[in-house]
Amino acid sequence: MASGIAPSPQPTSLAVRSQGLDKIFPNGFQALSKVDLVVGKGEVVVIMGPSGSGKSTLIRTFNGLETIQGGHLEVLGHHLDADNNQKVVSKIRRHVGMVFQQFNLFPHLSILENVTLAPIWVQQRDRQAVKERAMALLDHVGIREQAHKYPSQLSGGQQQRVAIARALALSPQLMLFDEPTSALDPEKVKEVLETIRALAAEGMTMVVVTHEVGFAREVADRVVFMDEGMIVEEASPQTFFTDPREERSQLFLSRIL
Amino acid sequence: MAESPRSGPRSRQLLLRIRRGLFASPLDTGITMVLAVLCGGGLWSFLHWVFLQADWAVVVENIRLYIHGRLPVDQVWRSWSWLGLLGTLCLVTLMPAGMLPRPVLRLLPLLWILILPIGLLLLASGLGLEPVKSRFWGGLQLSLLLTLGTILMALPLGILLALARRSSLPLLRWLTTGYIEITRGMPLIAVLFFGQLMIPLFLPEGWTLNRVLRAVLSLGFFVAAYMAEDVRGGLQAIPRTQLEAARSLGLSPLQTIILVELPQALRTALPSLANQCVASLQSTSLLAYLGLIELLGISRSILGNPDYLGRHLEVYIWLALLYWLVCILMTSLARRVERSLNVTGHH
Repeated sequence: MASGIAPSPQPTSLAVRSQGLDKIFPNGFQALSKVDLVVGKGEVVVIMGPSGSGKSTLIRTFNGLETIQGGHLEVLGHHLDADNNQKVVSKIRRHVGMVFQQFNLFPHLSILENVTLAPIWVQQRDRQAVKERAMALLDHVGIREQAHKYPSQLSGGQQQRVAIARALALSPQLMLFDEPTSALDPEKVKEVLETIRALAAEGMTMVVVTHEVGFAREVADRVVFMDEGMIVEEASPQTFFTDPREERSQLFLSRIL
Repeated sequence: MAESPRSGPRSRQLLLRIRRGLFASPLDTGITMVLAVLCGGGLWSFLHWVFLQADWAVVVENIRLYIHGRLPVDQVWRSWSWLGLLGTLCLVTLMPAGMLPRPVLRLLPLLWILILPIGLLLLASGLGLEPVKSRFWGGLQLSLLLTLGTILMALPLGILLALARRSSLPLLRWLTTGYIEITRGMPLIAVLFFGQLMIPLFLPEGWTLNRVLRAVLSLGFFVAAYMAEDVRGGLQAIPRTQLEAARSLGLSPLQTIILVELPQALRTALPSLANQCVASLQSTSLLAYLGLIELLGISRSILGNPDYLGRHLEVYIWLALLYWLVCILMTSLARRVERSLNVTGHH
């Protein structure tokens, strides 16, 4: 941890560094205040906290879905601050994949088209090669047989796995997961977590907002606990789940465990 | 053979259902009888008139005029070949999707766009043919040409207006909102008169636009305002999360509109857009009051012939039938498009 917070001699070894990040919504609500967080390359960081604590907002600033009103953000070597430069944002988005709570697949496109859309139009890669890679990715998440179906014909768990394949199709260097299993039936949670776990095992850098304690304990390198727009505690899962330092963390864990 | 034992109870079931539906109580019976007498009587006197009293000579003798107006006789083949092409295109479009090879299916939208310039070329002058002045264009053919032209102009314009109306540039937003609100606040007949008189004033010196094109321009601008609102409704129905997904994949704003928003918005807006298309056909009849001899115009001039004095009822019933047939054709085409979209994506 100490090495992460100190100015790093090789900024490229960092995936995300946020310093004094402020997010204030137009209605005046301060969703993030002075958030400092560092995510190293290859690291899996799980963000936990009560609803409304700013966890989703935080990771949504990482790919520019939320603008920032103060502080500094560095994502994969691209610097972003309160001016929210759109050129920087689009550079960042080319290398960051995001998976949403509600999957957000495009209902008018087939599964395969959902996965190939961005590589073809954003990266302008060869259609045939993109298609082959998309099929390989769908195979990887176990949806190959459904490639020509439409999102509404798939279960929630299958849709979320397609969403993961869609994000992976851009060969991202960082994956953001915004409560990826919260909208799923309980029996579908496992298949999605398995997919994310396999991704972690391959060394993907990931920031995961989730309430799944078992998953956090097993996969996370570090757990970040947030409350009221601030980071309350950062610790290894081992420490966080067995011996949390802060009172608010203890209270939160006593409610969910 | 197996039918006969079953047919007894079945016909009794039907009788029972009729009795329950129409004669359940004395009041029901009364209502049924009154309605039966009214409908039956009306139908009887209508049919009596159609077959015994009406003189259909006014329709039969002028059938060519209704179809293509006052086209010179040696040029009539041009009109028929365009109508033939259009009819073929309708039939091909209405065929079950499974019966058509994929390349043909892909070409269909393009063919529908091309049918209009082909019609204009055939009618006006192109292809080395002798030019036909626009005042000779008429009848069903002119009505169809006007309708097609209006739709092909209003639809893209309506989409652009809908997009501009929710633009982040305030000036563009105010201008389009103003345009849509003002256009929708005006009666179409006023817009059409305005178009015939004003459009020539705005043209560069030496340019002329014939009456038909001026009519299409005015109709197109008018219908576009309504279509814009239909498309806007479709755009508003798209969840914000769809845009977030598109943005997080790195799609540019333009790519998001073309690849994610419009396909979903147009699908939602399709029933109301089809409605506007049918309304456009009906609206072309107003052009009879501006001197165009489209279906209504040619009918009025036929009625002006002393030989057919007092044959209004025959002509207008025939006209109603023609408009109704074209409407039926248009709604089945719209249903066809709707179905082909639904096959490829249940919501």
